[in-house]
Amino acid sequence: MSNNEIKNSELDVQTEQTNRRDFFKKAALGVGALAGTSLFANEAAGEGDPNIMHHVKWGQTWGDPVDKNLYGIPSAYEHNNTRRGTKLLASGNLRASIAVAPIHESQGIITPNGLFFSRSHGGTAHVDPNEYRLMIHGLVEKPIVLTLEELKRYPSVSRTHFIECPANGGQEWRGPQFNSLQFAKGFMSSAEWTGVYLKDILKDLGLKPTAKWMLAEGSDNSEMGRTIPIDKVLDDAMLVWGQNGEALRPEQGYPVRIMLPGWEGNLMVKWLKRLKFSNEPFFAKEETSKYTALKPSGKAIQHFYANEVNSTVTHPSPEIDWSNLKDGDRVEIQGLAWSGMGTITAVDFSIDGGKNYVKANLKGLVLPKSWTRWSIMHTYKKGQVIQLASRAIDDAGYIQPTVDQETLITGVEAVYHRNAVETWEVQPDGKVRHVMVRSQLKYDKETGTMSIEGKA
Amino acid sequence: MLKLNTKIISASIAVSAALVMTACNSGASASGSNHSGASTVQTVYADGKAVIDGGTTYPVVNGYTSQYAVNTQVDSETLNHGRVPTAGELAAWNTDVTHIKLPPEGKGTVEEGEVLYEAQCVMCHGDFGSGGGGYPALGGKGEASELQKTLKAQRTTPDEDGPVRMFGSYWPQASTMWWYIQDGMPHPKSKTLTHDETYALTAYMLSVNEMMVGDIAVADDDEFELNRDNFADIVMPNVDGFEPEIRGENGTENVRTFYAKASNFGGQNLNQGAVRCMTDCQEPTAKIVRIAEGGGIRDFFPPTNIVRDLPDSAPVAIDVKAEYAANCAMCHDTGAAPTVGDRAAWEPLVSKGVEKVYANGINGTDTGMPAKGGSSLTDAQFKQVVDYLVTGKL
Ligand code: HEC
Ligand code: HEC
Repeated sequence: MSNNEIKNSELDVQTEQTNRRDFFKKAALGVGALAGTSLFANEAAGEGDPNIMHHVKWGQTWGDPVDKNLYGIPSAYEHNNTRRGTKLLASGNLRASIAVAPIHESQGIITPNGLFFSRSHGGTAHVDPNEYRLMIHGLVEKPIVLTLEELKRYPSVSRTHFIECPANGGQEWRGPQFNSLQFAKGFMSSAEWTGVYLKDILKDLGLKPTAKWMLAEGSDNSEMGRTIPIDKVLDDAMLVWGQNGEALRPEQGYPVRIMLPGWEGNLMVKWLKRLKFSNEPFFAKEETSKYTALKPSGKAIQHFYANEVNSTVTHPSPEIDWSNLKDGDRVEIQGLAWSGMGTITAVDFSIDGGKNYVKANLKGLVLPKSWTRWSIMHTYKKGQVIQLASRAIDDAGYIQPTVDQETLITGVEAVYHRNAVETWEVQPDGKVRHVMVRSQLKYDKETGTMSIEGKA
Repeated sequence: MLKLNTKIISASIAVSAALVMTACNSGASASGSNHSGASTVQTVYADGKAVIDGGTTYPVVNGYTSQYAVNTQVDSETLNHGRVPTAGELAAWNTDVTHIKLPPEGKGTVEEGEVLYEAQCVMCHGDFGSGGGGYPALGGKGEASELQKTLKAQRTTPDEDGPVRMFGSYWPQASTMWWYIQDGMPHPKSKTLTHDETYALTAYMLSVNEMMVGDIAVADDDEFELNRDNFADIVMPNVDGFEPEIRGENGTENVRTFYAKASNFGGQNLNQGAVRCMTDCQEPTAKIVRIAEGGGIRDFFPPTNIVRDLPDSAPVAIDVKAEYAANCAMCHDTGAAPTVGDRAAWEPLVSKGVEKVYANGINGTDTGMPAKGGSSLTDAQFKQVVDYLVTGKL
């Protein structure tokens, strides 16, 4: 069988390269079936898969020397796995904006540092670690300033937590807007953070009993500040300098940010310069003008700290859909669940848009205030239209609301903290679309209350 | 005093969740699977007070906090690093301005503020603060106390007007404005305004928001001067428009009480009567809402792409005119800076040499040009836009 011999790679590298690119382009266009057909044709002709029947190019030439990328970078083939932005999420320019994480490509419960979502109010600051100073003062017996080296001398802890912008999903209070998992739910990422518990630093400073609040202030162009209640400071607040085993990335506040497990990303002030203890809150711009949630009563929730229990289906997604599947294929439906108020205890799963649920399986590490993976097996039926939805529960007893349950209380103008059940609709061709299952609401301005139109 | 002790209350969600689950067709039960300290769930701190955000806390039990092992040696250590700052250092950084901490000495009038606004703010925030191009609106929409009433607007159908959330109609405290302008604006070059200038700009904000200081309607009086003495008299129509109440001695306790009740913030809690519904869980009125064909938000950069191929190495071509409109026109078309093809204005700059002009543009200047105009263009792309700006030719 001489034609089954493994061929030399050099001969037709060129054509293979083009073939492979065609292959992926077709797959991307959703004509995945083509790929299957061509492979099948090769086999029928007795030629075998060319990827098997040839030595691969990288198998017959030298690879890179070990000193090629002394700081490693992803495979060049992964160049489309990036953060993304849209002008609509910018306050005028890209210095007060957000680039969201490609969670449709995310694996496990850790986001690589280069893909971690990035949000700033005055651009990403580049702090010189030698000039870095942290001041802690206000209602303490002994104020201090620390250099970075001095800060890192405190005993460290490492904890895995997500950070979520409370505007995650905030564009979709009135209906779906993004046919994209990255934009619908990618205002969040997760990492293992290393730093010191703030309570361990404070032991020596003599916090005064009148200290009820702490200002955390950044050193960046926007001097972003937020007020944090003392209870959180003394519970699990950390000052972190490590992110997934290396220094924080500039986008995450290099060299130091505050980590408040489970709370709004905006509260976790980056490029941290100052902590001040006070008996009164500070009313910073980002806790008044923004990051407050207007309710139908006309009053707004302020100091909305924790990101509530939430979940989403990640596989499939509008980006990576089921158009390649054949009728009857067994497929894993996967997703993320998270809660800023505790540990995920269960996830329920629905294929009829949240009408009926079955229990899904948690998998991997189940940690407090952390992304948690869930999974369920499914048999794909070509042509069938189904609505995939998930609903998470945490150990504080919170369960994700339906869209109706949530908007009846908070209305449709809150912007922040939307955690209602999210739904993907699988189309007859296997494509996946973002939809929302909800009733038409009716607003009574007199009483400031919402009701459901047409409900007896 | 700071140490959290290890008292555990027993409030097993696994049990309560199972009790309230309805019509469960799969025998589901919420299964907690923590390490030591695991089967109990702690929703109060060591001092017996409820967790401030309504969630769970994880005290160290048997050397573990949830699944994490802890070096408990650290508990008995009081470490002291760093040094005490000098009085001068404290003063240099202690610059917050709040409802209990007035701005520093200084003064400025509406008129002075308007001049500053026209020179340093209008290119982004628009005439009278009307906003535009995504930049936040700062005023210019009417009387603050009237606009405050729009906070009771809910866009339950697409053709309705939404609430107006601006300084005058929404913000609870005037101190926020002074503090933010002083520390954060103008956006491309913050912390460059004097205290007097910040007073003047704040006075101008009071004017374009048609606000009151005591019984003075600021919009009617361009000579109105804002200073440290009358700052506390600024009337904020929406000062009580927020919950929970965080001011005063009970501030943190009010927060705790607020988050103890899920319905206050749109939550559903199984320990507070919520139900883990397993069958027929949607309202009969609920419908599937879809994104209209061709609708939704889709102008992503870069566009969504999941292909695994080699990147295109050709330089990314830009639409020079569109980049100019998006990044430069707000200043270079408004009189704030030399405009496209204006030979007379560009001549003196270009006479220093084109490379110098490029460099000034790329690095920014002290006289108003932000680095690359605040754009994300590469150096090469930026130079293309400069060429167009200076010559008027593409
Ligand atoms: C280059 C554009 C630019 C210029 C010039 C500029 N700003 Fe801004 N301004 C912004 C952006 C962007 C934001 C939003 C920042 C954010 O999202 O945190 C903002 C926010 C603000 C806000 C808060 C608005 C709100 O409702 O939250 C105020 C007040 C403000 N600017 C005042 C000023 C003043 C006063 C000046 C002139 C001294 C000025 N700005 C100059 C871009 C600009
Ligand atoms: C926030 C306002 C602002 C924006 C936005 C802005 N400019 Fe400017 N620019 C100025 C001002 C003011 C000057 C004149 C004063 C100076 O040169 O510092 C200037 C000067 C310049 C100069 C001359 C520099 C020198 O002194 O030699 C160049 C070149 C230039 N701008 C290019 C651009 C381009 C290209 C863009 C868009 C990509 C842009 N600018 C966006 C305000 C702006």
